Amino acid sequence: MPSLRELQCGLAAAIILGDRDAMPALGIAGGTLDGDARIGIYRSNVFANYRKALAATYPVVHALVGPAFFAAVVDAFVRAHPSRRGDVNRYGGELAPFLASYAPARELPYLSDVARLEWAIDQAAIAADAEPLDLAGLATVPQAALGTLRLVLHPSARLVVSPYPIFRIWQAHQPGHDGDAPIDLAEGGDALLVIRGADGVSLQPLSPSAHAFLAAVAAQLALDAAVDRAVTAEAAFDLGEALRQHVAARTIVGFRASVPSRRADP
Amino acid sequence: MIAASGLPCTAGIGLRAPHVAHVRELRPPVDWFEVHSENYFVDGGPALAALDAIRADYPIALHGVGLSLGSADVLDGGHLRRLKRLVARIEPAAVSEHLSWGRVDGRHLNDLLPLPFTAEALDLICDRVDAVQAALGCPLLVENISAYLRFESDAMAEWDFVAEVARRTGCMLLFDVNNVHVNAVNHGFDPLDYLAAIPGDSVAEIHLAGFDATGACLIDTHGARVAPPVWSLYRATIARFGPKPTLIEWDTDIPPFEILQDEAAIAQSVLQPFDAIAA
Repeated sequence: MPSLRELQCGLAAAIILGDRDAMPALGIAGGTLDGDARIGIYRSNVFANYRKALAATYPVVHALVGPAFFAAVVDAFVRAHPSRRGDVNRYGGELAPFLASYAPARELPYLSDVARLEWAIDQAAIAADAEPLDLAGLATVPQAALGTLRLVLHPSARLVVSPYPIFRIWQAHQPGHDGDAPIDLAEGGDALLVIRGADGVSLQPLSPSAHAFLAAVAAQLALDAAVDRAVTAEAAFDLGEALRQHVAARTIVGFRASVPSRRADP
Repeated sequence: MIAASGLPCTAGIGLRAPHVAHVRELRPPVDWFEVHSENYFVDGGPALAALDAIRADYPIALHGVGLSLGSADVLDGGHLRRLKRLVARIEPAAVSEHLSWGRVDGRHLNDLLPLPFTAEALDLICDRVDAVQAALGCPLLVENISAYLRFESDAMAEWDFVAEVARRTGCMLLFDVNNVHVNAVNHGFDPLDYLAAIPGDSVAEIHLAGFDATGACLIDTHGARVAPPVWSLYRATIARFGPKPTLIEWDTDIPPFEILQDEAAIAQSVLQPFDAIAA
């Protein structure tokens, strides 16, 4: 009689990997159906569950490749990247890198970047909430110290960059989209801010300087260094205007003194 | 009449994403709702905000599908912490999980897989139920699952296994009538034998759902109306246990909310006469 661990390892291998060598030792009781058929029921339930979950997280990838190809992607992905959590909603973060090296998708070089965008959207929807930036607190910071501050992005904010026009690709697969102008992959890439506001998650195309600035903030560089990055990207960067916009839109929700306090992030 | 769980002894509805906005805006007359705990294992955002708003007006039961109580792996501490955090926030009327496993060697299958009914599995799951009850500081409701296979190593009947978990740990039972019917058909036993073995005082909640009968086995899809034989078994269940909080579950091909209310009304019509007697 197998131990409980042996039995569970054998069943997992039989269900996920189709490993039939493990089957006889499991002692699956017969009856009207044999063990293979019974394992097959679980296999189809488990994979259907993952296909459904990942199609909900990656609707545009699903639309781009169609249900049959998507099912094949998911089945290969599940075998290569096992779920590690009991919460299937949080499964699938490695799909973008997986697609980048998935040979059958070679002819869709932008697919991996679209997946990265959709994961960012999915995670933005469930990130922590945040209060607006404390302007009164900011006003107490001495002028000379402003450049050393580290700004804090909204917890839902994510930056996604691609050499492909992923914003138009994404838009073309949204419900109600009626444009059918062809998308030229050579038309240039996108830098996008994905962020959750009062009306849900939105995508905002960023100028080179806006992206450079927010990427520097996300990397926790001091404000002076972030401005340097932005000006290097586009000389016309206007810090005052950028701050007004990002604070009003709650893209930037906080600030920290330059020396990170050990108690700053409980 | 109030049940052991804190849920009213009336019919409730499993609340899923497609109906959240409807419930939040229109506040339909439903006695209580149940949600899947894992759907709210999030840091913030609109789904959690909606649950906060709904819990202000309705009793909420938290129903887990991913704790993998019966896994030979150690209990997933991160999962338990997230559940504990949600329980503290929502203050649910009941917290439930399944008598199943879904994870081994760190790999999750995200499914409710059957345990062998052995002394080893019984010892393990009782330890886990004890640990979860200690961590949450409240009784856990554990649910009997549907299964499409059985093991030759089974040393006892499913109903004896389920009853023993309740007896040893003091946990409550979430008695899923549809799962009993599905297993009775799939594995060839009399569901009334199952019913007879379950201690009614331990039953804190009942689940009802629809199954799929198109294959070689009944499959517990939660994708249809409650089937006539399941309603019959439900009547027998209430006749034996008395009125219990009863949930209508529907998870695939989710219909308009009114259909769920119809199903809940049927369950309520079974509960009502008993409630009148109790009053």
